[in-house]
Amino acid sequence: MDDATSARRLVDLTAPPSTGAYLREVWRRREFAVVVPAQDLRAQNMDTALGQLWHLLNPALLVGVYFFIFGVLLDTRRGVDNFLGFLIVGIVLFHLTQRVVQDAAVCMVRNMGLIRSIQFPRILLPLATVNGQTLAFLPALAVALLAILATGERPSLRWLLVLAVLAAVYVFNVGAALLVARIGASVRDLERLLPHLMRLLFYGSGVIFSVEAFVTSEAWRRVFALNPVYDLITCARWCLLGTGVDRSVVIGLVAWCAVLPVAGFIAFRSAERRFGS
Amino acid sequence: MTGPPTDVTVRVEDVHVYYRVYEDPRAGLKQNFSQGRVRRQFSIIEAVRGVTLDLHESETLGLIGANGSGKSTLLAAMTGLLPLKSGTIRGRSRPSLLGVSSALRPALSGRRNILIGGLALGFTRAEIEGRMDEIIDFAGLRDAIDRPMRTYSSGMRARLNFAIATARIPEILLIDEALAVGDEDFRVRSAKRIDEVRAAAGSVVLVSHNMAEIERSCHRAAWLDDGVLRAVGEPGEVVPAYLASYSSGRSRSSG
Repeated sequence: MDDATSARRLVDLTAPPSTGAYLREVWRRREFAVVVPAQDLRAQNMDTALGQLWHLLNPALLVGVYFFIFGVLLDTRRGVDNFLGFLIVGIVLFHLTQRVVQDAAVCMVRNMGLIRSIQFPRILLPLATVNGQTLAFLPALAVALLAILATGERPSLRWLLVLAVLAAVYVFNVGAALLVARIGASVRDLERLLPHLMRLLFYGSGVIFSVEAFVTSEAWRRVFALNPVYDLITCARWCLLGTGVDRSVVIGLVAWCAVLPVAGFIAFRSAERRFGS
Repeated sequence: MTGPPTDVTVRVEDVHVYYRVYEDPRAGLKQNFSQGRVRRQFSIIEAVRGVTLDLHESETLGLIGANGSGKSTLLAAMTGLLPLKSGTIRGRSRPSLLGVSSALRPALSGRRNILIGGLALGFTRAEIEGRMDEIIDFAGLRDAIDRPMRTYSSGMRARLNFAIATARIPEILLIDEALAVGDEDFRVRSAKRIDEVRAAAGSVVLVSHNMAEIERSCHRAAWLDDGVLRAVGEPGEVVPAYLASYSSGRSRSSG
């Protein structure tokens, strides 16, 4: 029967793809999530006098301001030998995650036109966000490493481990971006709330003070170890500056990096078909 | 049903598409609280209500109807962009909506936009670079290709958009009022490209308010009225019926 043959050749266009097919399509289109944010970065600073230099100046100025206020005026240096190096690692890493999260919160709304007109795995949008901010972070990282050398640190084999920490930062950021993009797409209020949440996270991550020196209660230190950003920064400081790191911090970091991307993926994909509406 | 069933490329069966629209409340905050309403109010728009339609090989179907009658929603549903309330859409391959303008960046050059637009459509970087010259020539932008896109005229932008979007000819092409772009020369070339889709035994759906164009280039016309198909058939019959509904004042002025 003709009708039966033709019906067999027609596939259901509205059924969501399996997770495997979805991931294969993401992989096939991976260049989108790298090239497009790289081009956007280029466009971003095209009309400023200092252009691409801003990717270096921004973190450098941040470190300068915090060093003056917290290092010199308020003297939170307590318990830290190389406070400038300590600040640089904290601020540069925190800044990256902050930018990823804030950008991810609006990435679905900003790309609504694209979502409504072209069919592609939506996960490419938060991935492009993470890649774009990571690309923008690389020059800042180079400057940070030079600045840490200038503060008198000498590279050792432990410095190589910072690569593992950076990989963890990337994995964590992907998970965070997926989750935040998912929430930000349906709850627009998140964008307003985020600056306050990020400020809380900033002080809760020991970016500008040593938690070990200031927090004496064992229970509270456990709470800090639950904070993934504190874990990331503390591990990076251990690699580059040789400051202390508790085992709970390393365990916390590994756990976050294992759980968050999976949770983020599941949450994001469950809303995949609702992003355009 | 027209035509033998073997040449069906897309089968739309009893499709309903609804979406939510949040209302801008007329009442102030105070009234809302006094009425105990904390959550914002929304209404359900029933954009497409029970449409059944087949597309066949080598045919162009014209989709006509008043603004807000559900034409664009139906196209979006066919590409899989919108979830269906009920019904099924099956096809030989995924139809694609012509156009890539939402991916393009005005601050960047035409050449970089070809790369970005191509990646958004699912090309690899190597594929785009292999077709770069062909796309630039088709768009007729050889001299302007390294200038920022924001310096382009609207016709130049539309040509770039069309050239990127048709760099790969899909089997099933959906066009939402895109043909009225560019000068006469470009119009001829774009019409030729759409003919290529049909020549390859594909199907084209054309949404247009230009009735002369529908009668000229479509094999069949489908008239959508308030989310329901009013008539499907020869453009020579459906178009006059649609136009007559206006003069008799039966059709909604907007929807």
